[in-house]
Amino acid sequence: MAEFELDCLGEACPVPLMKTEKKMAGLKSGDTLIVHIDHSCAMKNVPEWARKQGHNVEVEEVGDGEWDVIIEKC
Amino acid sequence: MSETSVRARTPRKPKRNQLPIGLLVLALTIAVGVLLAVYKSGELATAWVFGMCFGFILQKSRFCFTASMRDPCITGSTSVTKAVLMAFAITTIGFTAIKYAAFASGQEIPGQSYVMPVSLATAAGGILFGIGMVIAGGCASGTLMRVGEGFGMQMLSLLFFVIGSLWGAKDMGWWNLNVIAGAPRVFLPDVFGWFGAVVIQLLIIACLYVAADLWERKKMGITE
Amino acid sequence: MKQFFDKISKNRYYAMVFKNPFTYVTGAVLLSLFQIALFAYSGNPWGVSGAFANWGAWIYRLFGGNVDKWYYFSSSGAQQTLDAGVLNNSGSLMNFGIAAGALLAALLASQFKFKKIKSVKQVVAAVLGGLLMGYGARLAGGCNIGALFSSIASLSLSGWVFALFLLVGAFIGSKLLAKFFL
Repeated sequence: MAEFELDCLGEACPVPLMKTEKKMAGLKSGDTLIVHIDHSCAMKNVPEWARKQGHNVEVEEVGDGEWDVIIEKC
Repeated sequence: MSETSVRARTPRKPKRNQLPIGLLVLALTIAVGVLLAVYKSGELATAWVFGMCFGFILQKSRFCFTASMRDPCITGSTSVTKAVLMAFAITTIGFTAIKYAAFASGQEIPGQSYVMPVSLATAAGGILFGIGMVIAGGCASGTLMRVGEGFGMQMLSLLFFVIGSLWGAKDMGWWNLNVIAGAPRVFLPDVFGWFGAVVIQLLIIACLYVAADLWERKKMGITE
Repeated sequence: MKQFFDKISKNRYYAMVFKNPFTYVTGAVLLSLFQIALFAYSGNPWGVSGAFANWGAWIYRLFGGNVDKWYYFSSSGAQQTLDAGVLNNSGSLMNFGIAAGALLAALLASQFKFKKIKSVKQVVAAVLGGLLMGYGARLAGGCNIGALFSSIASLSLSGWVFALFLLVGAFIGSKLLAKFFL
């Protein structure tokens, strides 16, 4: 049930997605990853990827043009 | 067990409602449109308006041609690819209707300058552009969209896109002489007839759509 | 006053159109409709990168350069376009519009944020990527819009050939991205 953070603020497409994919591979089932993003493409393609992988995803808007993508590895 | 969640710890930044600024910008863009129409021409004002519509739609849908080609290579996702194929299909029908209507009534077919020569320059240009758009994090329309969204990186990318364009323009003399001259412009209806060309193109798009779907299923391990 | 704006932002229909993102499919359909409308209205489909070459020429002129003897700018049409200036160039205005429309969309959704360049890697990527796109677009006669989207819609074989090689380039770019720019 560990919680991890990934700071992807200021990253260009598709770096948030690629970094998320890499990081998720190292997590155990039940772990949570919180990805901080400010890229409008990433707030769509990161959750989409995570859902397709079968994880639980929540997206929270935490500021103007900033989101936290909370992924729970299944 | 009860480790404080990151979410509870992260200070929420005060969100400012940007609607007032948005409305101000909207008013300014309308003003620009009106000024263009009055002092320049309706045609230029319309170009501005169309541009705004494209930009608005691109941003809201996060539509990116780069992603349509890049995502299948990195995660196997083809949702954007399929959307792009849909756009190809819809515009094929719309454009052909317009072109055929002109042809059938004996008028000059519009937009034929976009039927470009097929040569090694097309291939070389495609590869260079493909590499560039993935590295730069956006294609031509995507870069403009991201400039509007406030991405410093794409502003820099745009500057060098312009410089690269000038460089390319400079070399076009050579390319035209040695590679492009004599290359055929192939308008599919000339080969397959109007109906045949549309049917074949739509069939190809449909096949690519299915292929994209299968690719995603395979790469992302989706079994349902 | 603030409450008034906040109230609008929370309205259901405002959220649907201005706050929430559109799906890719919605974007595809809308873009297609506007593409077709543009073609119907102006007789020419959408193009983005052609204007960039003109911008380059105008900037070059500012620095004392001259493109009049270049093959690319030698046609009378091209000369007229250059002489008329950027504010009389529909392609340029359309490009400015794209940026403005995207800005507007972000602001109306309260999602605008200025994102500074973060690292040297990003600078290299932007410079290299931009140059490649600019040069490649001239070679192919257009970019992802003019030489791909519009050409395919125009039933031109060149669009498909360009698409194939774009994919090749995108593949190479993806490998480079993973290796050097991640």
